[in-house]
Amino acid sequence: MRRSRGFSLVETLVALAILAIVITTTIAMFAERTRRLRDASETVLAFQALSNEAEYWRREPFAQIDKADNQTFKSDLDILKPLTPYTTEVKVDSPRTDVRNVTLTIRWAKREAHLGVARADTGGSGLW
Amino acid sequence: MVTRRRTRGYTMLEIVVTLAIFGVFLFIIVTLTAEMRRNEKKWPVNFFAHPEVGSVLARMRRDIYDSTARPDNFETYNSSPMTLIVYTINDDGTAETVVWDFTTPGEVHRKAFKATMLSSEWAAHGLPMFTATTESMPSGQEAVRIQATDKEHKLAIDELIVPRPHA
Repeated sequence: MRRSRGFSLVETLVALAILAIVITTTIAMFAERTRRLRDASETVLAFQALSNEAEYWRREPFAQIDKADNQTFKSDLDILKPLTPYTTEVKVDSPRTDVRNVTLTIRWAKREAHLGVARADTGGSGLW
Repeated sequence: MVTRRRTRGYTMLEIVVTLAIFGVFLFIIVTLTAEMRRNEKKWPVNFFAHPEVGSVLARMRRDIYDSTARPDNFETYNSSPMTLIVYTINDDGTAETVVWDFTTPGEVHRKAFKATMLSSEWAAHGLPMFTATTESMPSGQEAVRIQATDKEHKLAIDELIVPRPHA
């Protein structure tokens, strides 16, 4: 005998629930992809700033490197605008009297990026 | 006992309840998606994934690293944020003057000259707006600061390139 009635409310709700799960999963995947792309963009911006800052620290006179009042970022950080609010930190270690390890850090949201520059006292005011 | 089949369609209440549930779901999804898109607009385009931009930067880095001078002008070109002029050393030890021309929006032109003769020309298209300025380093050296902004004028590339010291 042919069934001629329509769908019951339960059948319709189950169908919509399945559709909702499919849509939610798709959106969640899309959101995850967007989040990863944003993370990559943030990293690219942070490392551009770190790389520029490293260029300054590679050229800082050796005697000035570990002075407490000198340990701030020196380059223009316009590129970091999308990461606002962010903080920067310069940490200088002296494993030997003629070596300084400079660690540059940028922190934003719950992430951080570091770049280290090793400087050796060559006696001159040169690059290395 | 004979059970009578139900032949009617949905009641108004059934349709309203179903649509209300789905409506709430759609509202949540649309709100979340709109929020996500708003957040995304904050970010500049990641040009490092664009091969054209990569090739411009790679060529420019090489020219600047190996440059020995930055003339103020050359032939009809004058040095400005839209025109970078460098006197650079080639792999074969010869030197040439290279003009990077950013004046055409979306394009970058590289022209190399041996003396005053054009020796090579290269162009890239579909690019952000580039500028080249000078920045003084603590060592007294002058760095070239390459910046590029996307169509919404958001700074996407900011790179300091310092020429190698030449004896």
